[in-house]
Amino acid sequence: MSGSAKPQAIGVSVEGVTRRFAHAVKGDVFAARDVTLDVAPGEFLTLLGPSGCGKTTTLRMIAGFEAPDAGRIAFGGQDVTRLPANQRGIGFVFQNYALFPHLSVAGNVAYGLRVRRVAEGEIATAVRDVLALVGLAGYESQFPAQMSGGEQQRVALARAIVIRPRVLLFDEPLSNLDARLRVDMREEIRALQRRLAITAIYVTHDQEEAMAVSDRIAVMSGGTIVQTGSAEDLYHRPATPFVASFIGRANLVPATIVATAGDRVTVEALGRRFGIDAGTRAWRAGDSARLIVRPEAVTLARPGEPGALQGTVAARAFLGEKIDYAIDCAGVRLQAVRYNAGPGDLLAPGATVALTLADDALAIVADAGMGVSR
Amino acid sequence: MTAAARAAGGSRARADPALAFTVALLWIAIGLFVLYPIAMLLARVFVDHGHFTLGGVAALVTDRNQVAAFRNSLVLGALVGLAGTLAGFGFALAATRCRLAPWLVRAIDVAVLLPLVSPPFTTAIGYVFSFGPRGLITYDLLGIGNASVYGLTSTMTAEAITYFPIAYLTLRPMLAAIDSNIEGMARSLGASRLHVFRTVTLPLCTPGLANAFLLLFAASLADFATPLILAGNTFPVLPTQAYLQITGLFDLRGGAALSFALLVPALAVFLAQRFWVGRRAFVTITGKGAGQAPFDSFSPPARAVLCGACLALTLFVVYLYALLAYASLVTAFGANETLTLRHYRVVFSEGLRVLGDTLIIAAFATPLGGLYGVLVGYLVAKVRFRGRIAMEIASMINYALPGTIVGIAYLIAFNDPPIAITGTALIIVACYVFRYGATGIRTTVALLAQVDRSLEEASQGLGASDATTFRRITLPLVMPAFLAALGVMFIRSMTAISATIFVVSIGWTLVTVKILENMTELELGVAAAFSVVVVVLVFVGVFAIGRLLRLARAPGAPAVAGMLSA
Repeated sequence: MSGSAKPQAIGVSVEGVTRRFAHAVKGDVFAARDVTLDVAPGEFLTLLGPSGCGKTTTLRMIAGFEAPDAGRIAFGGQDVTRLPANQRGIGFVFQNYALFPHLSVAGNVAYGLRVRRVAEGEIATAVRDVLALVGLAGYESQFPAQMSGGEQQRVALARAIVIRPRVLLFDEPLSNLDARLRVDMREEIRALQRRLAITAIYVTHDQEEAMAVSDRIAVMSGGTIVQTGSAEDLYHRPATPFVASFIGRANLVPATIVATAGDRVTVEALGRRFGIDAGTRAWRAGDSARLIVRPEAVTLARPGEPGALQGTVAARAFLGEKIDYAIDCAGVRLQAVRYNAGPGDLLAPGATVALTLADDALAIVADAGMGVSR
Repeated sequence: MTAAARAAGGSRARADPALAFTVALLWIAIGLFVLYPIAMLLARVFVDHGHFTLGGVAALVTDRNQVAAFRNSLVLGALVGLAGTLAGFGFALAATRCRLAPWLVRAIDVAVLLPLVSPPFTTAIGYVFSFGPRGLITYDLLGIGNASVYGLTSTMTAEAITYFPIAYLTLRPMLAAIDSNIEGMARSLGASRLHVFRTVTLPLCTPGLANAFLLLFAASLADFATPLILAGNTFPVLPTQAYLQITGLFDLRGGAALSFALLVPALAVFLAQRFWVGRRAFVTITGKGAGQAPFDSFSPPARAVLCGACLALTLFVVYLYALLAYASLVTAFGANETLTLRHYRVVFSEGLRVLGDTLIIAAFATPLGGLYGVLVGYLVAKVRFRGRIAMEIASMINYALPGTIVGIAYLIAFNDPPIAITGTALIIVACYVFRYGATGIRTTVALLAQVDRSLEEASQGLGASDATTFRRITLPLVMPAFLAALGVMFIRSMTAISATIFVVSIGWTLVTVKILENMTELELGVAAAFSVVVVVLVFVGVFAIGRLLRLARAPGAPAVAGMLSA
């Protein structure tokens, strides 16, 4: 691996890709519907969504394990839609690792190189280097069944990167690991991808994992991409109630547009008016909408704060460093979170509190369902 | 399979000439050695001089002897099914729920599996030595001079002992696969051990018990050798009647009709197993143990009773085989018990040709049957081609049918041109390959079901072509199924009789047939010596193949069900 020049990273473009399945009861079901994506060279893009949203199908079509019914897939400008998987130059990391049980670690890692008829001497060096890279130096003669889940994961990773793929694809690679290891491994995967400068597409249903590793995230639901953007974009400027509630926690407060002015709107919610960023949508006065209020954007204070909303503590959950509160306010139950400032700072259920919402932490989305077909 | 091929659906066979050729070749072989004989059998039953007739079948309902045979077969099958399932379940419980020492379980395994690797009538011969007119127990111990060993009770007992290991082998993994937390949960809710057993363990096993019963019922229905030795004149059953009709009366149509009568219950059992029991299975055998300590189902006294009963039955099996070995070493069992090697001298002089024939036939049938099983299994499980399901069903026919039917069908089909191969070794080899090769198909399909699709995709993603993936990944993973199929083929080639007794000839005959001849000619010592030699040969063969199996299996490769349970 080391010592030689890095290959030029390539971009991946997915244009209008659709995949249908015949379902016994539901008829034609779209696993992916008109999916369009542009992944920049060297970028780390994550497909995020609940199970059944089409993210794995999309990834498998990019890999070539499944053929789209419509649409086009290109690697660095070259159309690969009809190219079989073994000619695409991909590195794929499977959810179950898919290590060959009858081959040793070295045999697994060397597999792609042998297929490419690399000289045995070079293979030995490459295998040793890549195993050192993933922290498995000296494991060459072990068999997959003798290894822990985390070690198997590293072998799968080594096997995928040793062939210097044009694109690295990950299908929920960490979902079989325990929580602690998951955090370590995702950081390693991210560091490795940066170091090798390989374009990567990563599938997960874990929003925290997605935010931790990705340059950009494409949120999928019901076979389509709902919104694409950086973690900050998606969190602060969600396009739909679904994105708002899938990425982080959100209060979806019923609201009405009162006035619009350029890229700002005035909305009425909880009996108050808020002036906030209009986002990408064209609003008209009178539209009903949902105000996105993140729990941490709700500031709680002792009653009597001038200009604040009045609420009652309905319940609380003590989580150590922070406390989750449920607050009833103007007929709406709001989730609020507050860092623990000490034992004297707790609010008791039934207590009256003052709430303030920071205008610039609020966002507005259309009031059209959740955009999910669950 | 490439994405393009998958998207294109069933067009693969057309796209790949090598595959199309293989499929065509297999269809020709299956057509010739499975479909054609069965068709000829049916034609013999229903067509007389070019006209459709029910005459052959009519005799079945009018001839009192034949009606009795039909009824007897069903009664015997049901009794053997009940007794064998009970015994097998007892052993399975002892092995999985009594926390016995591992070495004890292994020892029981070996003893219990003895009947499965011996010719099917070995138990019957031992039974005669024990309970016959000159039997160790009846004559020597009880002093009964003219004990009658023949009839329903003896046949039923000998068959139950011969076949209960099948029930044991199907029920044991099932019991082991039940998550012991389920039983532990019931116990923690306050149920007594007995209550847990009655309300949780037993209901979970019901489909398995039904399956075991059906397997034993079918085995008894098809068993030909045990009734021939033990049923006597007063208890005719279908397979022996069919045999006597053909070899005694040279009535091929009558024999064919009798075997057709056998077909009806056999088919009913097969369908019940497939469509009724199969859908009611609660426990999935994944090949992975639940990984916990097994649930402790029995109170100490109950455990003592169960283990005691199993031990007694095990000792009885060992006793029957010991009797057989002893009988092979004395001049005349029950009369002149001076030690002699005379019977073995017969086996290794006059008997040498029969042993040679059997080994030559086994040497051809074993690799051919193994190859056939794995090839069809692979195609059926992994490749899409037209007629895939039809091939899977057709390939199972000769295995699912009682051997008597298959044997008579072969006799009828291959006696005359266009394909007159009666009297050759080929007909015996073909009979074995297409009958017992089917177990290899099942093993291969089961094994490939454990091999996740992602393994082949991983290979493909790393740049390997379909051919490379097959050679480097699929083939090594299928290797254990191939070796297990070899094991089954070898055991059956050495021990089977029900089908092949109809196709042996002066030119080519088999040890099993020879043993039966010796039994009817009352050369019991020689029969015993032959049986001992066969059991030893089978054990050597199975041991060698088991060794290969262990070598071929890399750590972590999916396991196959043992070659004996297939």
